[in-house]
Amino acid sequence: MKLPFTPTTLFQQGPHLEILISATKLEVIEGRAIGLEYPDMSVRALIDTGASLTIINPQIATTCKLKQTGRQKINAVGGEAGEFPEYAAAISFPGSRLPSLDTTRVVACPIIRQPFFSCLIGRDILRKWLFTYDGRSGEVEIIA
Amino acid sequence: MATEEKALQKELTVFEQHKREWLRNHPGDFVVIADETVAGFYPDYESAFKAGLGKFGIQASFLVKQLWAEEPVYLIH
Repeated sequence: MKLPFTPTTLFQQGPHLEILISATKLEVIEGRAIGLEYPDMSVRALIDTGASLTIINPQIATTCKLKQTGRQKINAVGGEAGEFPEYAAAISFPGSRLPSLDTTRVVACPIIRQPFFSCLIGRDILRKWLFTYDGRSGEVEIIA
Repeated sequence: MATEEKALQKELTVFEQHKREWLRNHPGDFVVIADETVAGFYPDYESAFKAGLGKFGIQASFLVKQLWAEEPVYLIH
C-alpha cells in the first residue's frame, strides 16, 4: 500500500491513513447472532514509531463497544501518564489490500499532542509490517 | 472512568496472587482470567482473547494479561 503525500504534507502531518475500528470479528459475528450491534468507526490514524502500543481516544472504545481486557501503564512525554484501560479491537484499512487485524490490543488514552488524529498506530502493529518513509519524495509504503 | 478503574479488579487480584508461581512455567505467556477462573495460558494476545470468548462468552468480562517479571511501562513519544 502506497500513501502518496507531498514532501510538505508528510513533514507537517506525518504519515497517516484512514482506518476502521470495531469490536473483534468474532464478537461481531457472535453478537449479531444474538441481536447485539457493534458499531464501527472510521478514524484518521497517525503511524507513530514513537509509540510502543496502539492508542485510541477513549470515546472510540465507548462508541464501538470494545471489550476491556486489562490496563496498561503508559508514560507519555509531555502528556498523560498513568494506567489506562486496554481493549480488544479489530482494525481494517479500507481501500487497501493491507490485511485486517481481527484481534489486536489498543489502549484508550486521550491523544492530546496530536489533535488531528484519533488513533496512533504503534510499534505493536508496525512489527507486522515493512514500513518505508521517503521524506524526499513524500512517499510512504506499507507492506504486510 | 470510575467504572473502568474498577473493571477487572478481582481478576487483577487473582493475577497478583499467582503471578510468581505462573511465571515459573509460563514466562511471556498471556493468562486469561474471569472472576477467579483461569482459562489457561496462551502464546499471544489474539489466541488468549479468542480462548476467553470461547470459554466465558462474548458478554462476559475477562482479563488477558501477559506474564512479566517486571511490569513494563510503555512509552508514547
